[in-house]
This record gives sequence, C-alpha cells and structure tokens, in this order.
Amino acid sequence: MTGTMALEDGARVDFTRLRQERRRRVLDAAGSAGLDALVLGRPGNVRYATGARQLWRSGANPFAPLCVVIPKTGRIHLLSTWDDGIPPEIGHDDLYGMFWDPAHLVAALASIPGLSEAHRVGTDSLTPFFGQVLADLVPNFELVDATGILAGLRADKTADELACLQMALTLAEAGLAALEAALTPGISERDLLGVYVETVAALGAPTPPSESVVFATPRVGPVHFRYLAGDRIITRGELVVLSPGALYAAYEGGVARTRTAGAAPTPGAIALADRCRRATDALVAACRAGNTGADLYRAWESTGERPAEIALAFGMGIGTETPMIGFGRSAGLTLHEGAVLSVQAWVSQEGVGGCFEREMLRIGEGGPEVLTRSERS
Amino acid sequence: MVEDWSAGATIGGRPIPALPDMARLRAERFANVQDQLEAQGIDGLVLLGSAGVAHSTGADAPGEDAGKAGLFRAVAVVLRGESSPHLYTPFLDGVPPEFPADHVHGPLFPDLDDGIGELADALSGYFPAGARLGVDEQTHPMLRALDRYAWSDSSAVLGAAKIIKTPDEVSAIREAQRITEQAMESAREALRPGLRQTELSGIFLRRIFELGAMANAIDPIWQVMTATKAEGPWTTHGDLAYPISTTDQLLREGDVIWVDAGICHRGYASDFGRTWVTSSHLHLTARQTSHFERWRSVVAAARDILKPGVSALELGRAAIAANDGKKPWMEHFYLAHGIGTDSAEMPLIGTDLGEGFDGSLIMAPGMVLVFEPVIWDEGYAGYRSEDIVAVTDTGWVQLSGLRYDPFEVSG
Repeated sequence: MTGTMALEDGARVDFTRLRQERRRRVLDAAGSAGLDALVLGRPGNVRYATGARQLWRSGANPFAPLCVVIPKTGRIHLLSTWDDGIPPEIGHDDLYGMFWDPAHLVAALASIPGLSEAHRVGTDSLTPFFGQVLADLVPNFELVDATGILAGLRADKTADELACLQMALTLAEAGLAALEAALTPGISERDLLGVYVETVAALGAPTPPSESVVFATPRVGPVHFRYLAGDRIITRGELVVLSPGALYAAYEGGVARTRTAGAAPTPGAIALADRCRRATDALVAACRAGNTGADLYRAWESTGERPAEIALAFGMGIGTETPMIGFGRSAGLTLHEGAVLSVQAWVSQEGVGGCFEREMLRIGEGGPEVLTRSERS
Repeated sequence: MVEDWSAGATIGGRPIPALPDMARLRAERFANVQDQLEAQGIDGLVLLGSAGVAHSTGADAPGEDAGKAGLFRAVAVVLRGESSPHLYTPFLDGVPPEFPADHVHGPLFPDLDDGIGELADALSGYFPAGARLGVDEQTHPMLRALDRYAWSDSSAVLGAAKIIKTPDEVSAIREAQRITEQAMESAREALRPGLRQTELSGIFLRRIFELGAMANAIDPIWQVMTATKAEGPWTTHGDLAYPISTTDQLLREGDVIWVDAGICHRGYASDFGRTWVTSSHLHLTARQTSHFERWRSVVAAARDILKPGVSALELGRAAIAANDGKKPWMEHFYLAHGIGTDSAEMPLIGTDLGEGFDGSLIMAPGMVLVFEPVIWDEGYAGYRSEDIVAVTDTGWVQLSGLRYDPFEVSG
C-alpha cells in the first residue's frame, strides 16, 4: 500500500512508532555499550536517532556535534534553532541553537545535563577541534568509536523502516518510468536528468540521493562508467543508463536499468543485457544471511566478467549505508537477515556500449527477496 | 555574445573576466593553498569533505545525499611544495583535463576499517612521522591508524586561502548565480495558489540542469512567512525561524514566500534569495512595497561605503542606521556572508562572533559578500532578498541580478 499522503484511518507508515523504536534502540545500545554520552555528526545517524526533518544539504560535510544522546537521562539533544520539523519527543529544552562562534557552541554543549559528568563518549566521527572540545568538557574523557553501534542498529530494519524503503523505491521506479518515456533520440543527458528530478520532486521527493542518474554509452571506442550528466546528445540506438533514486522520510530507494534510445535493441545489446542480468542475478543469489562479502566477490568472479569497476553491493536505509562490498573491501563482513541492500552490475563491450543494473533486496529468512519491480534491462 | 558585466572592474589590478578560465582558476587557487601551508608551517592536508576536495583539486562530483557522499568519497591529499594535489576518486569523469595522470588514484575508503590501510600507506609515502597535517574530518579508523601525524583543522589553511577570491573565482560565482537566477524565473512564473512547495522545487531543479548546472546544493526553500513571529515555529532565541525545510505544503493566495536556493557549478556555490507573493491576481500592499524599499535602502547603505579598507563593523553599523537603529538581520545569521566553494564562508558580517571580530575584519579586493538583510514588520511579515557583490580595487561589482519581481525597483 504505497502512497505518500496521510490517510485518516492511520494506515501506511506509523511514523510515531517508527521513531520510538529507533530512539529506544539508540538509547539502549548506547547504555549497553557503557557510553555516558553519544555525540553524532553524520546526518544519517542524526536522522535515525531523532527523526528530525532538517534542511537537506548535498555532499559530505565535516563533522560537527549535531546531536547528543545521554542514556542516563534518556534525553536526546539536537542542534536546531527552531522546533519546525522536530518530533514532539524532543522538547524545547533539548534543542541548542546554531552559532558561528565556536565558544558559544561549546557553552551550549556544556549545559547539556549529563555531558560534563560523562566519562566514556562515543562519536561517529571527529575533527581535531571537536576532539579537543570534548576533552576539555568531559573530565577523564575516553573517546569511543560508536560507528559500529549505529551501523548495527541501522542495518536491522524494522517493519516501518521497510515500508519507507518500499515507498522510496516506488518513487525511484516512478522516476525510471518518466526517464523511459522521455528517452528519445536528440535529448541530452542533462535534459533527461531534469525530467527525472522534476518527476520525483512533484511526487514529494525533491532531494535525490544522487544526481548521477543518466549516461549514454558510446558504440564506438572504449566504454567507461560515468557519473556526471553532460551536454551529450543521445542518438538513436545508443544504450543509455538510467539509475534514478528517491528519498522518502530520509529512506533511500534506487533502481538502475539500461535502455536503448528510440530503437529495438540490437543482438549485441541483447547479449550485453544478458551478461548484465546474469551478473546481477548472481550477486542477488549470494545475498543470504550468513554469507560474507567474499561470497559476493566469488559470485561476481563466477560470471567470468572482468573485476568490477564499481561497488557490488551497499546497504540501503537512511541514505546509503554500510556494508559497502566492492573495491576489494568488506570481504570478511557477514550479511545478516533483515538488511536491505542494493546490488549492481556494470558490463560493457566496445562497439556495443554498456549495461548497468541495480536491484534492491531484503535479506529474508529464506534468502534474498527482490524488492525492485521495474522490467529488467 | 558574452555580456561585459564586470565593466573593467579589477582585483589586484587584474580585470574580472566575463567568464572564468577554469584551468587558470584552479592553478591560482591551489597556489593560494600552498602559500598558506608555507605561511602556517603545515606540511600537508588530507581532505574528505566534498567542498574541501572540490576546492583543492577542482574535481567535479555528482550532487549526492550525505549518506552516499560519505561512503563513496573523493579524497584529496595536498603536499606542501607540490604543484598538484593527489586525488583519490571513483568519479574519474570529473577530473580536470590538466590534472596530472600520476596524481589520480582509485577511491579510498577512510570510513571503513578495512579501507584505512590504503590511506595509511598513501600518507606514509608522502609524509614522515610527526608531519603537521590539516584535516577536515577524522573517522575512527583514521584516528586509530594515523596517529603518527600531528593533526589540526584544515579550516585554518583553507579559510585563509579562500577569503580572497581570484578574478576567475569571482566570475565563476557569477556564472553559478546567473544559472540559478534564470532557473528561478521559471519557478516564479509557475507560482500560483494550489501549487505545492515541492512542485516549485521540481521546476527549479529541472531548469538548473537544463541550463548547465553541475549540481544542486540545498533543498530549495519556499518558506511561507507568518504575519507574526509567534505564529511561526518556536525558536531558541525568540527571533524568526528561517530557513524551514520544504514539504508538500500547498501555497495559498496571499502567502508571502521567502525563497532561498543555491547550486554548485564547477565547484562554486550560488545563493538566490527573494521574497515572492503567491497570488492569482497579484496586488502588493503599500506595506509590502515599503518593506522592499527599506530592504533596498539597507543594502544601499552598506554598499555605499563598501570598498577596500572598510571594516565589517562599519558595514553592519551602516545597515543598522538605515533601519532606524534596529539590527536588520536574524539573530542566528548575519548581515552578509561570503560565498565560494562553500555556500556560506568568510567574511561573515554581524554574527555572534561579535563586534571585536567584525572590527578586525577589513574588506579587501577579492572578497565576495552576500548581503541578506531582513526587514521584519511584526504583524505584517516582511521582506528578505540577497544581493551578491565582489569587493574590487576601487569599490564593488554586482554579481547577482537586479530584478526583484514581483517588486519593482523605483527610480
């Protein structure tokens, strides 16, 4: 039952329950890890802990103490000058405002009950400056890596989280349908990107997980995976990669397919799509609870394709998450039931072009459950 | 035909080009970073953040959500005395053409424990133990694996290197702004009662890409202002809440909207701010027009005295005087901020850094200012727009457009 509007009967996602469950998990996990305070700066972690709908900014921004969790008091404090977008369980007393003078921010942190009595402080990242700030604020400061705590909580999706991910995927698939309809010879990559972003924005999702959504692949010369849409005009018969995504309540959905512009696929393109589909399917099949990253690398190798230029799989949740299996990383990482992943395959052939597919799946009790519905490449 | 918008204005005796020469821009910008490394005795920089990497390398990357951008990163390593940084990136199609091939490397994963070895190996090839390095973020794997160096915040080096723009950088900001303003024309033309905020976002975002933008930078803001502060969101300081993030909110007849949006084009931010009124038969009240006129006179008062040698404090005081002694900006913001590879950077005028700071912040050729005063008329909402200027050798040059539709510039 996917739709973005609230229904008077309370059907669809119960956001209060969603937030309460995440909040309880964060407080419990921080307490169990013996943390006196948990200081978060990664937007995904902050969103997970607070449910606060804050201004979206593109890119990776340096760490700042955006959120402070104190297990002993059961309070979660948030950097926000106003209460718009802030859920009711975070009271006005839990908000600290934005400052340009670091001394003012330090004073605001110092007034958080429990922080100055803390000893073990977990963070999800740091800078030299904020490392010093925490050391000055907290007597007998012991820094703890809380990255894994948050990653572990986020990987195990609740039913409400899964509903959000399904909604995000639905929006991404709507973006794909709009791209397919607009894909005609003569249109440029950047005009297609414009069609996509207008479509998902009109559906209520104006902040794409990535603007790397469209690239045409050449039929002459070497074929490379590209990330940036350009002025390039798409010509009849070219294979064009379409990889739209969408965020719903911060949860990310994404799909990728490759289509032929304005013509039926050639035998070469069909053969390339077969290779791509086989590789994707092999990766999907390897996504079972108990398997490791190494199983995905083996699945890729079993297809006979060259070593992959891109990641094989990554977590999907509040944006892109760990695990990231690709570029030789995370071979020893074990996959767990309840995780939602994207797996992806890129294959190319000189003279034909390239083919890219991305599928979203949940690791269920009986194996991978593919969530994506769009017709295969 | 390229418009001669800068009309001979110079920075350090050099004319501001109508369009930026990006290769020259990157070379001069990197030389500024090297000068600061030398001046501050820092041996190198390790940069993980999108803006820092873009500034030091000139490499383009797709606009991405923080989650994706924080996992699939580009990383830059700057060595003091070298003519080019090292770039570790998955986005090979974003590498500048003149970038030396032997300085481009595959991606690093400093967020992963089993990715940190490659970063440690790379750095040990560049720097001896004990080297003084600037960094914009330290992941826990970095904190564990890279404790042989003396780390400090890279913002000391980059902040100093960034505050004075080269003529090409000023031109690049103007180019990003021009795309943004053109795209906003489409959004403003579409504005009518019954439209959703997110639909306006869609119209704007589609146009920026059609017009050549590299990336969007923030979720565009179309905040409907309440007549009084009390009707708006609660705030920690009792002043206005702004900017409030966009939703599917339906816009209604008479809504006063404070627009704020910015893109990232060739590494440079734009910043568009205007006040619009939602109406199917627009009629601005005399009160609304007076808000706009006052906003104009506040900006004019600051600009009239703007030239090299003037302090931020003097600019702030001129703006306050033009608003009958009342501070015409929000408590959590500023009268003006700089802009460059970050959407808000030094020079900041009128922040909580205080009068001592503002008194010591002296305007110099190459500084860029985004004036964004706020005229608030409790009970009747108010007016906010943004004007961007660059300080030149003799005064200033306008970088943002001079249309304020639906408000008319009189005289």
